[in-house]
Amino acid sequence: MSDLDKAIAQLRACRPIPEAQVRELCHKARELLIEEGNVVTVTAPVTICGDIHGQFHDLMELFRVGGDVPDTNYLFMGDFVDRGFYSLESFLLLLCLKVRYPDRMTLIRGNHESRQITTVYGFYDECLRKYGSANVWRYCCEVFDYLALGAIVLGASNTLEPSSVDSDQEGSFRSTQEYIDADTEIEVLNSSGGFVSRVARQKPKVFTTKGSSPAKTGPPGTGASSFSKGTAGNSTGAVLCVHGGLSPLIDTVDKIRLLDRKQEVPHEGAMCDLLWSDPDEIDGWGLSPRGAGFLFGSDIVKTFNHTNDLSLIARAHQLVMEGFKEMFDNSIVTVWSAPNYCYRCGNVAAIMELNEDGSGDGMIPRSNGEVNRSDGGIVKEKEKVLLNGPARRYRVFQAAPQDSRGMPAKKPVADYFL
Amino acid sequence: MSAQQIPNLLTLRGGPRFRGGRGRGRGPGGHNTGNPELQARFQKDRDIQSTDTDAAVSRLSAVDLGYLDDPFASYFVSGPSTRRLPIINRGTYTRTTALDILIHTFLSDHNASTSSQQTKQIISLGAGTDTRYFRLRAQNKHHNLIYHEFDFPSVSLTKERIAKNTRLLRESEDETFFGASETIPSISGLNAGWGIERSKDGVLETTYCFHPLDLRQLPTTQNPIRGLRTDLPTLIISECCLCYLEVEKSKDVVQWFTGRIPSIGLVLYEPIGVHDSFGQMMVSNLAARNITMPSLELYKTIPDQKSRLAEFGFTTADGGQAAETVEDIWEKWIPTDEKERVDALEGLDEVEEWQMLARHYTIAWGWRGTTGWENLKTLQA
Repeated sequence: MSDLDKAIAQLRACRPIPEAQVRELCHKARELLIEEGNVVTVTAPVTICGDIHGQFHDLMELFRVGGDVPDTNYLFMGDFVDRGFYSLESFLLLLCLKVRYPDRMTLIRGNHESRQITTVYGFYDECLRKYGSANVWRYCCEVFDYLALGAIVLGASNTLEPSSVDSDQEGSFRSTQEYIDADTEIEVLNSSGGFVSRVARQKPKVFTTKGSSPAKTGPPGTGASSFSKGTAGNSTGAVLCVHGGLSPLIDTVDKIRLLDRKQEVPHEGAMCDLLWSDPDEIDGWGLSPRGAGFLFGSDIVKTFNHTNDLSLIARAHQLVMEGFKEMFDNSIVTVWSAPNYCYRCGNVAAIMELNEDGSGDGMIPRSNGEVNRSDGGIVKEKEKVLLNGPARRYRVFQAAPQDSRGMPAKKPVADYFL
Repeated sequence: MSAQQIPNLLTLRGGPRFRGGRGRGRGPGGHNTGNPELQARFQKDRDIQSTDTDAAVSRLSAVDLGYLDDPFASYFVSGPSTRRLPIINRGTYTRTTALDILIHTFLSDHNASTSSQQTKQIISLGAGTDTRYFRLRAQNKHHNLIYHEFDFPSVSLTKERIAKNTRLLRESEDETFFGASETIPSISGLNAGWGIERSKDGVLETTYCFHPLDLRQLPTTQNPIRGLRTDLPTLIISECCLCYLEVEKSKDVVQWFTGRIPSIGLVLYEPIGVHDSFGQMMVSNLAARNITMPSLELYKTIPDQKSRLAEFGFTTADGGQAAETVEDIWEKWIPTDEKERVDALEGLDEVEEWQMLARHYTIAWGWRGTTGWENLKTLQA
């Protein structure tokens, strides 16, 4: 067993690894991450996860529900640390898995992967408490600076395949999974693979823009029937994954690639916005109540997706009680993976699975947003077709049962106003 | 940043760092009873008392970070202060500010032109180590005010000791401090209070009194409540107090006052919304700390709280009533520039969590009677 495997085993038991080993791990991780672009390209199948926030036992539950690494290809959209009591073990385990299986684990940066935020929201204190010095916190923060800002998922299928979590057990498809309608676009399963709900694919959606300025477009049109692009069933665009959302300074994915990311998260600017912004029921851009990033409306998302041949933006960052929430005619989804957030919120969590397009006649993966652009760069028509979203399966799960935690002698205490 | 400067958010949160029970054995019944049922009940009382520690630590955190101005907060927390999370600090700020607004509105004189100001009375239930009276004194707002606080005897002992040792109640020429131990030794059952007396035109009157009394015993107590006036417009404050009592007991307590004082009002601050998943998690988390709030199950919503106020006779016909969530108080009552100031103190990332938490607390108030309530009537909910 290699040292790395030993470290993984130790962290899986929720035991921190020695400081020297953390240092080595972080060094290796940085060497890996420095090779990654600001926007990592990931090929389906992939399981996309939202905020973890140091809820280690719930991360274990996530792996139980979604399958273990390396059997499942994971993409985590940031906010590994802060708030929960096991930020250290959670982040180091994910980092070990990244170093051990670089192609099966993608980590992108959340707004909590920052020196400033971690000093307020708990990760700094946790490192101090567990190691007696801030060294480990410092090593981790250096890794944070190298994390990618986003990811593009290519090659996702339009149709769901039956799911099998227990990949080590031959042919152990869940009973509810025996038949999947080819028209199914969205399927929701519970933590034991049981069926919750299914949504059939609808006709491609069309939206209209009022003018050529992307910042001032109107609400999405509905019901228009003319569309000229592709046919339902085999053209799904790529999926952009980012922790927060869009930025008024970024109109193409390629502009994200041009940022200098290897730094602390700035207080403003494109990099800050990508990690801090939220979608909201507004037109255009709005001020964020968080004091960083922006609010952006449906028109912004649809224009961005259209410009960049995206069918979906997947993001995290906001607590949603149901674990996931699709907005704006399914053009953007929030995925939240910390059940009973802060041991207080009573929410469920979710992960989103995208299948591999195994048919061979699906979309051709492209390397970046420049190729295969649909409108030739000149936006004349005021009606645009939203690309088909990939078929997606959400697995919804609850907080790990208290007795599985074993570790904390004291039950976590949540703060209330008393 | 040095290690010492960064507070430990996790190990210290919620811990009873300041034990209201330094006089533990003096709690109701003492610790030598062999009856396990009684023991469990006393333990529960102590766990409820520990919520005061929680509030005191949260208050100090909000003060240290600049949310609130309260020079007295540090006296009631032993050891170094604990930094609470931004949402908790904002909640402490909003709750305190809302009560400040309500109380100042009640105390301010409707008709400023008349020479003699109407004296008013405040009764704070489960006051614990609340610093409000000290703050009112510091603001010179105590001259036409009779102020009562009620809480367990063990809380009273601690608060009296701190008030005396740190001279929080600095007497002026016409005032004298009276201690509980000086008047009557610690014989339980006698509600000997401590506080401040003032001589006015040669007559001594109690202007501040802490009553060491388990509120559940109030409706049956035979002893007079020192200094309680029944002829003044009186505002009862329950800042997370009545919610800990059995519903019938809490009604009895309020009715004990409303049955004696004609011109009276009530301000409630307590959790609501146990019917959703956040609320249920709150109930189970508090239960893990041995804290139960019987009223939660009965008053789930703001309309529930309003009909509760109406039951006490606080209706629009004879007085007035209103209720808001803490979320709405933050949105509507805090002026924009003040919000900006508060936001700038720490930044608050957890917007959704704040909204959810703040939506699960209400401030509800109602009153009956004509004089003394004019300003409260003008306060828009």
